[in-house]
Amino acid sequence: MFLVELFVQGLIQGSVYALIAVGLTLVYGLLRILHVAHAGLFTLGGYAGVLVTNATGSVAVALVFAALSVGAVGMAVYRFCYEPILRRPPYVALIASIGLFIAMEELFRIVFGPFGLTYDIVPLQGSVVIGGMYLRSAELVTMALAAVLIGGLGLLAGRTRIGLAWRATVSVPEMAESFGIDIVKVRYLNFFIGSALAGVAGVMVSVLNNLVEPTMGSVASYKALAIIVLGGLGNVRGTLVAALTLGVIEAYGTIYLAGFLDRDAIAFAVLIVILMVRPQGLFGRSA
Amino acid sequence: MLTLEGLVCGYGPFVAVHGLDLVVPPAGVVALVGANGAGKSSTIMAVAGHVQVLEGTIRLDGEDITRLPARERLRRGIALSPEGRKLFPDLTVAENLEIGGYIHPRARVARSRERVLSLFPRLGERLDQQAGSLSGGEQQMVAIGRALMAEPRLLMIDEVSLGLMPKVIDQIYAAIVGLRADGIAVLLVEQSTRRALAIADEVCVLESGRPVWRGTAAEARGNQTLIDAYLGLREEAPS
Repeated sequence: MFLVELFVQGLIQGSVYALIAVGLTLVYGLLRILHVAHAGLFTLGGYAGVLVTNATGSVAVALVFAALSVGAVGMAVYRFCYEPILRRPPYVALIASIGLFIAMEELFRIVFGPFGLTYDIVPLQGSVVIGGMYLRSAELVTMALAAVLIGGLGLLAGRTRIGLAWRATVSVPEMAESFGIDIVKVRYLNFFIGSALAGVAGVMVSVLNNLVEPTMGSVASYKALAIIVLGGLGNVRGTLVAALTLGVIEAYGTIYLAGFLDRDAIAFAVLIVILMVRPQGLFGRSA
Repeated sequence: MLTLEGLVCGYGPFVAVHGLDLVVPPAGVVALVGANGAGKSSTIMAVAGHVQVLEGTIRLDGEDITRLPARERLRRGIALSPEGRKLFPDLTVAENLEIGGYIHPRARVARSRERVLSLFPRLGERLDQQAGSLSGGEQQMVAIGRALMAEPRLLMIDEVSLGLMPKVIDQIYAAIVGLRADGIAVLLVEQSTRRALAIADEVCVLESGRPVWRGTAAEARGNQTLIDAYLGLREEAPS
């Protein structure tokens, strides 16, 4: 029973990782950029969650607001940070992205203060018993949101015309463009959706921890990088599996490895071991 | 329908084609032949809008399209099956075709898909397979089919038969003859001269980016000097 509870805790954490990492892998798949500043958008979502919930009393409103506003900021990041340097070598965008991430953290510190914000009344604090397990409503909502949003993304990509255009653009951009697909529109869509998911993750993490602070994205940023490498860079399905797997491994690791390995180090231990065996990641195609 | 006047094109400082005049009549099949690096592909890519035109003009039905972006040329009726085919390898055959018709409304796409599948019945059995998993011949059919989905008036095919088995090449050339009968003009690049001469109406021989001979395919077939000088060594590799 204890093992099952740990497994479920792992899935909850994994859902958060998935919501963050999917956007990161989408950007990599489309533009071959490691979008480090994505974690800053996740933090922005956390602030939106606390501020809007405290102002309106509704975490649902906060979630919608966070998704839309962080999505819009994500599009602005593409427009003003990446688009001007797309033709430069990839490390230029990487440096720009790291710089932007640091700037965002400092901006949060200046605007919202260094000590973080909390909810006046923490939402979603009810709990339910499922199969003898206590789950907080916030945890259930986190899993449900991840499942619905990422499932919806799968339908959008697989079943719609714009989704087809999106996948064609990821596959061979110059051919997609020559067949009349507006690839700039595809990029905006890509950044909007990926950033909106990160914004939602930010709200849920701020609810789960009842805290949002300027450095909330630091651990998320490097862990999400490890996850998308494991998932095979640009591979959404692989990223999903990698995120959930890491969540579960961490949950067990917190108990069974606690003596000698920190929770946040587990991601990298797993990353190193798997990359030694499969350098292309768990789900990447071999080159 | 397509007229090139003094076309000079290339990649940055490298000039691939030095002054080419060419006319592709409506429902005509014109073959560009010549050795590797003669400028055949560059010509086609310049017409499609993928290679920079340095001098000269490209006209489609009299309209100067020299500076138009690739997708605007597609809308005006020029579609390309490029060298190396450049399919979307991780998309299915059906999805590759759908992208080909992306500029058209759905109902039209369904109709032109039927036409492509009747032209290449083998693709009908492969619709749900990833394009990258097909044989070379099937991939060539997808590439041509994808271009046809745009309902072009001028279809350009680069390296029609390169690397394909003779039987597959027969099927593809039969399809090209069918397209001409439907009123579609075809501009093709071909290394296998024998094949090109067998079906083309007109032939233009390029060497080092310059046209060295042009005329009807019948004239080319009767011109032993020409065949010996430029075309003789270019037969299909045995399969």
